Amino acid sequence: MTSLSRREFIKTSIAATTAATVGLPVTKAALAQAKAAEAGWKWDKGVCRFCGTGCGEQIATFNGKIVAIKGDDDAPVNRGLNCIKGYFNGRILYGEDRLTKPLMRMKDGKFDKNGDFAPVSWEQAFDEMERQFKRVYKEKGPAGVAMLTSGQSLIQEGYVAAKLMKAGFRSNNIDPNARLCMASAVVAFIQTFGIDEPANNYSDIEQADTMVLWGANMAEAHPILWSRVTDRKLSNKKDIKVINVTTYSNMCSSIADLEVIFKPNTDLAILNYINREIIERNAVNTDFVNKHCVFATGPYDIGYGMRPTDKFAFEAEKDTQKKQLVNKLDKYEAIAQRRPDMAGKDIEHKAAATAGAHWHITFDDYKKALEPYTLDFVAELAKGDPDESVADFKKKLQQLADACITKGNLMSFWTMGMNQHVRGVWVNELVYAMHLLQGKHGLPGNGAFSLTGQPSACGTAREVGTFAHRLPADLLVDNAKHREFTAKQWNLPANTLNPKIGTPIMVALRGLEDGSVNFVWTQTVNLFQSTPNSNHWLKAARKPENFLVVSDSYPTLSGKVADLILPTAMIFEKWGAYGNAERRTQVWRQQVEAPGEARSDVWIMLQFAKRFKLKEVWGEQPLAGLKEDGYPENKLPNVLEEAKKMGYTEDTTLYDALFATAANKKVAWPDPIAKGAKNSTVDFLGDGWFVEKALFEEYRQFTVGHQHDLAPFDKYYDDKVRGLCWPIVDGKETHWRFSEGHDPYVKAGEGFNFYGPLMKAIPSGNLDKVTDPTPKPLPGKAKIFYRPYAAFPEQPDSNYDLLLVTGRILEHWHTGTMTRRVPELHKAAPTSVLCMHPADAQKRGIKHNDVAMVESRRGKVKMVIDTKSSNKMPKGSVFAAFFDEAVQTNQLVLDAADPISAEPDFKKSAVKVTKI
Amino acid sequence: MSTEPVSASTPTRPVRHFVMPKTLSGKLYYWRFVIARRFVQLSVLLLFFGTVHWGWKIAGKPLLSGNLSASKLLDVIPLADPFAVLQIVCSQHWPILEAFIGAGVVLLIYILLGGRVFCAWVCPINMVTDLANVAREKLGVRSLIVVSHKVRYWGLLLVLLLSFLLGVAAFEWVSPIGIMHRELIFGIGVGFVAVLGVFLFDLLIMARGWCGHICPLGAFWSIIGWATGQVKVAFDNKACTRCGDCVKACPEPVVMNFKNLESDGMVRAGECTNCGKCIAVCPENCLEFDLRVRLGKSA
Amino acid sequence: MKEINRRQFIVRTAQMAGVAACIGVVWQTMVRGEARAAANALRPPGALPETDFAAQCLKCGQCVRACPYGTLSLSSFSDVAPVGTPYFMARNIPCEMCVDIPCARVCPSGALDAKFPDIEKARMGIAVIDEENCLSWLGLRCEICHRVCPLSNKAITLNIVERGSSKHAKFEPVVHSEACTGCGKCEKACPTEQAAIRVLRPEFVKGKLGEHYRPAVDGHFQTQTIQNNTDIAPEYKPTHKQKAPGLEYFNQELPEGKEGRP
Repeated sequence: MTSLSRREFIKTSIAATTAATVGLPVTKAALAQAKAAEAGWKWDKGVCRFCGTGCGEQIATFNGKIVAIKGDDDAPVNRGLNCIKGYFNGRILYGEDRLTKPLMRMKDGKFDKNGDFAPVSWEQAFDEMERQFKRVYKEKGPAGVAMLTSGQSLIQEGYVAAKLMKAGFRSNNIDPNARLCMASAVVAFIQTFGIDEPANNYSDIEQADTMVLWGANMAEAHPILWSRVTDRKLSNKKDIKVINVTTYSNMCSSIADLEVIFKPNTDLAILNYINREIIERNAVNTDFVNKHCVFATGPYDIGYGMRPTDKFAFEAEKDTQKKQLVNKLDKYEAIAQRRPDMAGKDIEHKAAATAGAHWHITFDDYKKALEPYTLDFVAELAKGDPDESVADFKKKLQQLADACITKGNLMSFWTMGMNQHVRGVWVNELVYAMHLLQGKHGLPGNGAFSLTGQPSACGTAREVGTFAHRLPADLLVDNAKHREFTAKQWNLPANTLNPKIGTPIMVALRGLEDGSVNFVWTQTVNLFQSTPNSNHWLKAARKPENFLVVSDSYPTLSGKVADLILPTAMIFEKWGAYGNAERRTQVWRQQVEAPGEARSDVWIMLQFAKRFKLKEVWGEQPLAGLKEDGYPENKLPNVLEEAKKMGYTEDTTLYDALFATAANKKVAWPDPIAKGAKNSTVDFLGDGWFVEKALFEEYRQFTVGHQHDLAPFDKYYDDKVRGLCWPIVDGKETHWRFSEGHDPYVKAGEGFNFYGPLMKAIPSGNLDKVTDPTPKPLPGKAKIFYRPYAAFPEQPDSNYDLLLVTGRILEHWHTGTMTRRVPELHKAAPTSVLCMHPADAQKRGIKHNDVAMVESRRGKVKMVIDTKSSNKMPKGSVFAAFFDEAVQTNQLVLDAADPISAEPDFKKSAVKVTKI
Repeated sequence: MSTEPVSASTPTRPVRHFVMPKTLSGKLYYWRFVIARRFVQLSVLLLFFGTVHWGWKIAGKPLLSGNLSASKLLDVIPLADPFAVLQIVCSQHWPILEAFIGAGVVLLIYILLGGRVFCAWVCPINMVTDLANVAREKLGVRSLIVVSHKVRYWGLLLVLLLSFLLGVAAFEWVSPIGIMHRELIFGIGVGFVAVLGVFLFDLLIMARGWCGHICPLGAFWSIIGWATGQVKVAFDNKACTRCGDCVKACPEPVVMNFKNLESDGMVRAGECTNCGKCIAVCPENCLEFDLRVRLGKSA
Repeated sequence: MKEINRRQFIVRTAQMAGVAACIGVVWQTMVRGEARAAANALRPPGALPETDFAAQCLKCGQCVRACPYGTLSLSSFSDVAPVGTPYFMARNIPCEMCVDIPCARVCPSGALDAKFPDIEKARMGIAVIDEENCLSWLGLRCEICHRVCPLSNKAITLNIVERGSSKHAKFEPVVHSEACTGCGKCEKACPTEQAAIRVLRPEFVKGKLGEHYRPAVDGHFQTQTIQNNTDIAPEYKPTHKQKAPGLEYFNQELPEGKEGRP
């Protein structure tokens, strides 16, 4: 302390004198002081707001404010630990610019698309929302409106949204941002196992012998899981192996025994090489494979999820967009796909519309398909670091194969590297193949674990089914039996539900552009910053015929292009539940009140539901392209007559019909489970029923007996419970699925049962096509897929010569709405920088910390160049995060997507970087 | 060399001037006060030095431990520099009781004796400035800068103000007095250069510069005991011929105001250090030490 | 005459004030320069925090005299500590941790706590180990600091580690700041050319978690830390200069990135 400021002196002499002269370490003194202050605090359990790890928290409130957060010692996920974002869970609610009033574009006291935002009352907001919704609904029917929700929404919010859209408005245009994050994983789950969600759990980390990360920066994206992986590694440095298979060196490489830097998309080839080796080395668990698996494959030329027309493309991006229909096959693809004569030739991607189709093949065919993936071939193809020799890389591939073909316990982990991938479904399936061939799945220490990015992509988006093609508990909109069951659960007339798959997020945004969707309501997402090729959507939102409603808690970029902004309550300001990556559903009570007029999303949706009468939605509705048994062509039938027979009237509101049902109203508030906690949703609704509990219990009926069993609401609120992993049968959780002795749905003697019901009857064929279209059932079996290597569409060329990878960093969550309002986190990472190899920077005359212009075919942004980052990029590749609103990374990113899952590939866009 | 106008009451007498005695005993007698003063100054330093370095004790108690800033006599009686304690208090720090008691004891002593007795009889810098003065007069160096003797009072105020603003005892941080006695007692260090600086200042720049014009400690002591100090230099007006030798000898000539001397019967001013130079030099023996109480009436 | 005198008086006074100000500036520069004590100039036990200590010390040297080992010195001008204040440099002569703490006992000013209860509670400094130059950490056997430490196994413990490649374990000395008094016996005894363990005053070594983080001592895994929000105003309301927060932001132009939008 060398400053001589007056205040310093006074402070030290008065305050610190006591502690220092007595010689007590200051922390102990502070602690004693703190214990005294803590006396009035009330602690309650909760969950972290951020990633899919789902750490348990304890929240302390005092005088109506959250005064402290600590990691929950009793939570099995994190055992009291928090990562740096988790610590600030209490602060994210208290940013200075929390939205407290609805804001709408106004001119002369009325809504005007070109007006400035002005505060309005909730009444005014709902009035305009209703007016605009009905305008579009009348004109375009259920296909013209869309609700885009979130993997960060509560289970109850997802459920209300899904029911409102699907049962109320009969629209399947509801899709979460989990589409951008887990869709490929979901489709791969369903195609492989017939049911969604991982089979393993986090404790497998402590039992694994070999852990492979596939394109996942676990150290920054799932920090608490990483500390468990690291601890496991340190417990036995010699025998435990951690392998980082990645496109650039990152923080996971520090404890990894092996780091394999591969070229993007060649993960397909590497996995095929490993699977080929499994067979070559006679390491196939033939018993397991014969009893529990079949082999399958599908079409290759499925396009890249882009629009089939260049009508809306910017001039510069037309050359990339063209590839959706026709693309040149490179020599590696040609060899890998067994059509070497097509190398360099144009291929028509005719199977885009039927990309998800797949069929049985024989084991011999499977072997034949793997033939081209020799070590030499894959080494030459997949080497990702130009500075590494092919010989060295070959050695690494062999070591990787050696590690993955093992008698020990094998775990694979991945998230966005394999999901945000133009062939994401394929590569997910290849990892499952690697594990299934060896029978290493769904067992302690053994499994292919698809990690979830968001806190409730599992619990809300996937399990509740807030997707364009889903209903709750893995049911599908285009399955008649599923619709029938759902209609029974929801007390709907037959054929109320829309059987036609709706608009995934990117299609909805494209709809804003091409005029097919005119009303979009986003909740708990910031899509106009987080979706690729965002320049398109930013412009589209401002088109006069579009009306965009953004529900959020803080000002975001999406709000800037919106027409109506609704202020929402944040976590702990409402009762809620999340489900994390290991199927653990965790809950919390409301701890504090939301500021100003901010309200929970459930309240907002229920209020909106009151604005609609059944006669406005359950009459006949146009639905272009609908061709389904039991439905008239191109429209949804009028179900009002049947509704009346069921006790509804034409004037019954959607609120009364769908939510304030007789059964739900019986669930009373107050409820002793609250233990004194408030419920602002119920209070403001003023209807006296315990909304969150009633809806949870109603949703729960979908899960019970259908392999998704959730426990009763009250059980989760038990003081001793720290979430429960479903299925919960007879009060017992399930930690490993599909294997005997762990999964209650697997009967004794079965060994394994992949009981997922979806896609469990497929045609048969050879490697090139279907030969017998009769669906052959495969009950209880999983599919081992052959998928070929395919390159990504926008390869770097002479003009755009660098490959842009985007992702997250430790300090910030997604678009930074919450974390950038925490000064400590903002200070740690104030801006999104472009990580670049120093030689690449030097070639362009750029020094570390220079600002450069980064440009792609779709936009250009200024970014600070970082050549000293912990993300060590290979030459030719650059990395940027997307949390910084001033650096619109996603304006550069190509909106190519996996054609099967419709999940965009955020990891492969060609850019050029020029010195300013 | 102007002499004061002869007052009407002064009898006309031939004016004599001081003449240095020729004999050694005469010289020693002339130097009697200097010798006494040096004896006291050096004894004090020796007491401190001996206690630290040679373990001097009486009845097992260290004789005089510490230095002129603060010390303890026989482990019982605390002594402290009251000016230093005052600065510490101004700096918004509160010393413990022992420091206040020590300062109180010292204040009491000097209130009784007269504040600036410290300057001539205890302060070690006095030896340096006296030497510089002798050298200056021998070499005939004239003052480069002349300031009013009142500057030191401004200095005193500045010290207290700076102590408050900076939060430290501002004079103690730089005091050559402290440096000199600390380093003599505890070990010579680089700081002794400051002592050399005072010497050169008094020699080359300002006559009797430090003690007579600058030192804020001197200003402090001038104020303490100004009205109560008992040891005063008494003045016999009848014997005085107004020869002015005392004025020339006095290191604080401002106190030698004949009008005041006549009316007060003594050197009343607080600036008088009781050095005895005037007493030694007066050819008519008009001046001698006496107690204020005895000089009562006109005091 | 009177007017001249008054004017002169005012001018003189202004001059004096000016001189005083100039002197004050120079003086305070000197004082500030002097006020910095070097990080390894350790104070006697029971000392006030550094700035208070330097201000309250009477520079009397009684503590120097009281130390039976002659450990302390009074700092000279432009030395490692403010002039006249007592200090010691561990590498030259460490504190012997006298149980009766004679130095603090005699302090008349309170700069040292005369009633300091227990020498083991003194916090003169904290020892810091340079692991790259410590013989023990490099795998050789030394641990002299651990042996000479008066609070051995409390202030310095040995972390015993398997070496892996050889058969011989490594003994890594680790300092625990909650017990280390900063006496400096370790630094004095360290056999390397420049001490690999050295004592610095606590403010140069200790970080501060900050008001927001507190270790939660009641957790079994000792992994908890409490993120404390009590500094957020009790009547928290989002501040808004207008009635609706976010309004200004939403009515601005779209940020960076507009260019290049075709």
